[in-house]
Amino acid sequence: MFIGAIGCEPLQLRRVHLENSRSLDVYRRNGGYEAIKKVLDSMSPDDVINEVKKSALRGRGGAGFPTGMKWSFVPKDSPKEKYVVCNADESEPGTFKDRYLMERDPHMLIEGMLIAAYALNAKTNYIYTRGEYKYLIDIMDLALDEARAAGLLGEKILGTDFSCEIYTHTGAGAYICGEETALLSSLEGLRGHPRMKPPFPAVSGLYASPTVVNNVETLTAVPDIIKLGGEAYQRLGTEKSGGTKLWSVSGHVNQPGVYELPMGYDDMEKFIMEDCGGIANGKQLKAVIPGGSSVYIMRADQIIGKDVRMDYEGLVAGGSSVGSGGFIVMDETVDIFESTKNLTEFYKHESCGWCTPCREGTDWLVKIFKRIDKGGGRPEDAQLLLDLCDNIEGKSFCPLGDAAAWPVQSAIKRFPEDFEKHMKN
Amino acid sequence: MSTELIKVTINSEDFQVTKGARLIDVCRDHHFDIPSFCYYADLALQASCRMCLVRIEKMPKLQTSCTIICTDGMVVTTQSEEIEKAQRSMLEFLLANHPLDCPVCDRGGECELQELTFDWGNLEERFVEQKNARAEKYLSPMVANDPQRCILCKRCTRVCDEWMGEDAIEAGNRGSNTVIGTYGGWLNCSQCGNCIEVCPTGTLLDGTYRHQARPWELTQTVSTCTYCSDGCQMSLGSRGDELMRIVARDRYVNGLNGEFLCIKGRFGHPFVNHEQRIRTPLIRYKKGGKLIPATWDEAIRFTAQKLDAVVAAHGSTSLGVVGSARLTNEALYCLRKFATEVVETENYAIADAFCVKPFFDSLGGPLATHHDIRHAKTIVLIGGEPEELQPLTAKQIRQAVRNGGAKLILINSVPIRLSEQASQFIHVRRGSENAAVLALADAASDDLAARKLGVETSELNSARQTIAETQGDVVIMFGGELSSAAQAVVAQMPYTFAVEGRRICLHPLPLFSNSIGALDMDMHSKTLTDVLEAASGSIRALYLAGSLLPEHLQKSAEALSKLDFLVVQELFETETTAFADVVLPAASFAEIDGTYTNNDGFVQRVRKSIEPVSQSKPDWLIVSQLAKELGVDFGFEMSASAVFREIAERIPAYADLRYPALKDESQPVQVKHAVAAKRDLTNELDEVRRAVEGLSDDGDKVGETPPVGHELFKLGTLTDKVPQFHLLAAGNPKPESFAISPLYQITIDEDLKREPAAV
Amino acid sequence: MSQQPINIQPLSQPVQMPEGIASFSPEIEAEIDRHLAKYPVMRSAILPLMFIVQRERGYLDPPGVAYLAQRLKLRITDIWEVATFYSMINLKPVGKYHIQVCKTLSCKLLGSDKITQVCAEKLGIKVGEMSADGRFSLSEVECLGSCGTAPMFQVNFDYHENLTVEKAEQILDSLP
Repeated sequence: MFIGAIGCEPLQLRRVHLENSRSLDVYRRNGGYEAIKKVLDSMSPDDVINEVKKSALRGRGGAGFPTGMKWSFVPKDSPKEKYVVCNADESEPGTFKDRYLMERDPHMLIEGMLIAAYALNAKTNYIYTRGEYKYLIDIMDLALDEARAAGLLGEKILGTDFSCEIYTHTGAGAYICGEETALLSSLEGLRGHPRMKPPFPAVSGLYASPTVVNNVETLTAVPDIIKLGGEAYQRLGTEKSGGTKLWSVSGHVNQPGVYELPMGYDDMEKFIMEDCGGIANGKQLKAVIPGGSSVYIMRADQIIGKDVRMDYEGLVAGGSSVGSGGFIVMDETVDIFESTKNLTEFYKHESCGWCTPCREGTDWLVKIFKRIDKGGGRPEDAQLLLDLCDNIEGKSFCPLGDAAAWPVQSAIKRFPEDFEKHMKN
Repeated sequence: MSTELIKVTINSEDFQVTKGARLIDVCRDHHFDIPSFCYYADLALQASCRMCLVRIEKMPKLQTSCTIICTDGMVVTTQSEEIEKAQRSMLEFLLANHPLDCPVCDRGGECELQELTFDWGNLEERFVEQKNARAEKYLSPMVANDPQRCILCKRCTRVCDEWMGEDAIEAGNRGSNTVIGTYGGWLNCSQCGNCIEVCPTGTLLDGTYRHQARPWELTQTVSTCTYCSDGCQMSLGSRGDELMRIVARDRYVNGLNGEFLCIKGRFGHPFVNHEQRIRTPLIRYKKGGKLIPATWDEAIRFTAQKLDAVVAAHGSTSLGVVGSARLTNEALYCLRKFATEVVETENYAIADAFCVKPFFDSLGGPLATHHDIRHAKTIVLIGGEPEELQPLTAKQIRQAVRNGGAKLILINSVPIRLSEQASQFIHVRRGSENAAVLALADAASDDLAARKLGVETSELNSARQTIAETQGDVVIMFGGELSSAAQAVVAQMPYTFAVEGRRICLHPLPLFSNSIGALDMDMHSKTLTDVLEAASGSIRALYLAGSLLPEHLQKSAEALSKLDFLVVQELFETETTAFADVVLPAASFAEIDGTYTNNDGFVQRVRKSIEPVSQSKPDWLIVSQLAKELGVDFGFEMSASAVFREIAERIPAYADLRYPALKDESQPVQVKHAVAAKRDLTNELDEVRRAVEGLSDDGDKVGETPPVGHELFKLGTLTDKVPQFHLLAAGNPKPESFAISPLYQITIDEDLKREPAAV
Repeated sequence: MSQQPINIQPLSQPVQMPEGIASFSPEIEAEIDRHLAKYPVMRSAILPLMFIVQRERGYLDPPGVAYLAQRLKLRITDIWEVATFYSMINLKPVGKYHIQVCKTLSCKLLGSDKITQVCAEKLGIKVGEMSADGRFSLSEVECLGSCGTAPMFQVNFDYHENLTVEKAEQILDSLP
């Protein structure tokens, strides 16, 4: 599996191939903990937030919300504790970038969290890691111990007045906990149901206190923003989304892996067909889901010769969206009906059951897929599936409903032949 | 909530609404229909059923109106093609896995899901798949569960948590596998059945009423509960001459309790049609003989003769009259009239577990209604165990704390369950509650009180400070632990803590449905103890309307056996009727018209749901007929309302009241208890202080929180008639199978010695 | 669980369970204390503690549930509602080796079906079952974040990636 940068100097992936890359020593010898030193030496919390705003860093978890703005929503005058929570509940199908960041370079995450905690005046911070990544929790715990022993964590960090703690926390197998409010419910020891917004976590999050929840990749971008300066970081990418982005690539490509590309990389065809080594076994490209499973599926002819730019605007223009940046590449042998059924089963399994449309809708969708799969398809089923998706979309309590509806909607619209084939039976 | 008005446009019509109002409420207030299942007033918001979707201008998606607080200039659409499609699709989703066999469902005919489906009509069933199957089962002797019908509105889990503080029932599993249930599948809770009440579908069902009747066969009669002093409003569902069930469902009833009832109110009614009800008058013609059925004419004549004979031989004061605090105002009024105007004796008393007369004699402020409790800012509870004895009050306290942010100061020798809600729990020694009253009223006695209570003086200080600093209403409650003098001190606390611009309300916690009415009817000439001690001494004949409580009977059994003549009006043959010479069959609360006065001071109607069982008669009518036989015609004919008219004429607190004025249970009428002026409490405080000084310095405190149901599940004469109660009293054993009612699986050892209920 | 933030205060009453309450060695208790120390609210430690109880007792058995309720000062239902929500918490016994084959799209595209099949044949159990000797359980699970190294399975917490049928067989054979 490939891990590295294409089209730019590796930033986030700079250290992943170094021997012993997860040790504090290697991290420090390669520029580590310089950013937090710079922050503590010369920057106010507002300066940090301003740099992050200037960097045009957008949240890498999937929603793409500008990180600096998210930070600035935290009320400064609130007498309550403030929390920074790292969302390491990486569960989006096709996405595995956070895993390698934490596995190979845990101190980068710690440093990013320290800077965020400083900017937001948070004393206690958590890394919420999915339960299946237990080995990563162990790695993070070791790294945290190392940092603590080196005076980089705990009381009076680097001899300054800044003190803060970071703890790991384990999930236990629930995709929905990647949604930030569900994550907070889970972190409070409750069922992982999303919560009502407003109030947004920045105002009332963990333990009803101001809280910022950021994805691993978002937080690991922060040290470089500080070191390079917000503007320089932004220039690595586009005007609206700065920096570099990690893309997880899986499926029928010759070289799956985690690719670091500058935001706005040109173009998607080149990326798949050249950078990722092209389609495996000499087959033809049929479809790509470019943003983890929860986005529109793209036909090969929407990619080949279409010059799809790889950033938020580019992918939307191309007919999908960035999501979590997980490319699932499918060759000509794939039956899109089958692949959509597989994903729908995923959403049914992971629906938390809180709201009607998502709970009942995903259950119903799966039942229809299964019936069709067993040969009970009817010509009207395509329309029924589309209508059910329409009834789920935009009406569910949290975005999981939309995430379940979009793959089905786009698959039926873009690959009608694969569906018709089954419904005629 | 502020009184500032803002403009909201709904479906192109402009409305002025209070700032901070919730959109769904506003729409409904203005008769725009918004469907919803999960939204429930005063429970935590859920926004999960997604039925209440509306379009709000400048918002990207349809919004759930239950989560929207109105803002000035908001433009809302509640009816459009888009909204109708969205709402219909939510209903379609809910019906997808919901069985469509309403005729076999116990909730059929009163199911919110069914009603909405029928209201809207024109639904095409597009779901042709296999429905998720889940087996029916019992969760407890009281609660039956058909999980397939669940739409996961989670009203049940929220009332269990927010009203009852029990959290006994919760959602388990995830996604479409989510079910409502509990660990191990067996519910160990207070069995209040409020989860059944609020369930919009046939998911949680009354296990005692299941498969017995259809809702449309029932005649619904709004009435008042006969058990505790909270006076919950309820709907008695009768079919012919049989009382089938009791619900509080606010589609029928809209009383002070909303949809709240406790286990006794909801499930404690099978005594009404019980086979052991006394069917005819019974006469014991000679001491030691048997009770022989007789006609009413014979019984009344026999009783009159005997009473005449006793009075002729020993004078009118040789007759004592005792009325139960569970009788209606009308019955108690007639009893007193009988005592004072027919026999002219002063030996009449109320049979109550404890008496709050000293409190009312010094009453220095308004009685707190349950609404006041819910909206109080500080609540002081001295002694008592409302969770078990006045469950509605407990629920109001809990909601005041959890939803209203009220502070609860709890002074008790037992860490009762409400202590979870307490902002300050003053854990005192058993029997030292009076000392707490002393300390609250008189800071100078802090050291003494703290020593006797076994607490720090700082705790007492801080309690007083909390009361003094409260911005808003303060409610002070007390249980049966307080002495007469201490009651008087509490009654004067509105003066003790008087501050401009806030109210100090008082809330006594007597045990019976008409404990307060009995005092109002002036039935308290002597204490019950005085009357019973004189029995077989100066008192030669006793007239008991209702049996004596076990504790009183125990002390006076011998005296009763030596009486010349004992008359008892009763529903059942009891340990008291064993001594009776004449037993007159009384009608239960379900068979009569009348009124109860509750601990809010509300006088509320009791209404006849079924005809009196067998030959039983209302208590007040029996007394009136006896009076007539003795030569005094009360002139009430057969009309309870005529009795009440006379009450209104003679008793100042009830002045001008008539039954029609008590018609609407949602507008209860508070009687005008005389408020005493501020007065010198030196004597009372001295008396309390002397009593406190006599307390031990090292008494014990109860360390463990008693289990849920420790009072509720005790068997009394009435609850004894509910088979399921026997299971609960025996510890609610887990049956082998949940598929059938535990009643058919578990045999209760009848010889099991159980502590009888005081209530 | 309600949506509105409520006071999560410990209960005043002790938990009583007829089945008895699990107990742990001082080392495990110390480990539990370390987890509890991370959070201002005890309840937050519920998932880490469930994993510890599972590790020590094989699964979250009734005495383990009672232990958690008592240790965290929660009601039994609070433990139940959380335990049943998360797919990694087992309220029923699982095998010493829990084979969890990822079945989500990327793994599916690269042949996870065959991996499941070979596991089932080799272990003689179907998906969702436990072998009679209690050594193996076989599950199909949703995405484990190994899409770039698909197909894969997890044996307990260990990732085994880039599987082929042969490699899967080898791994199963090599389990002690």
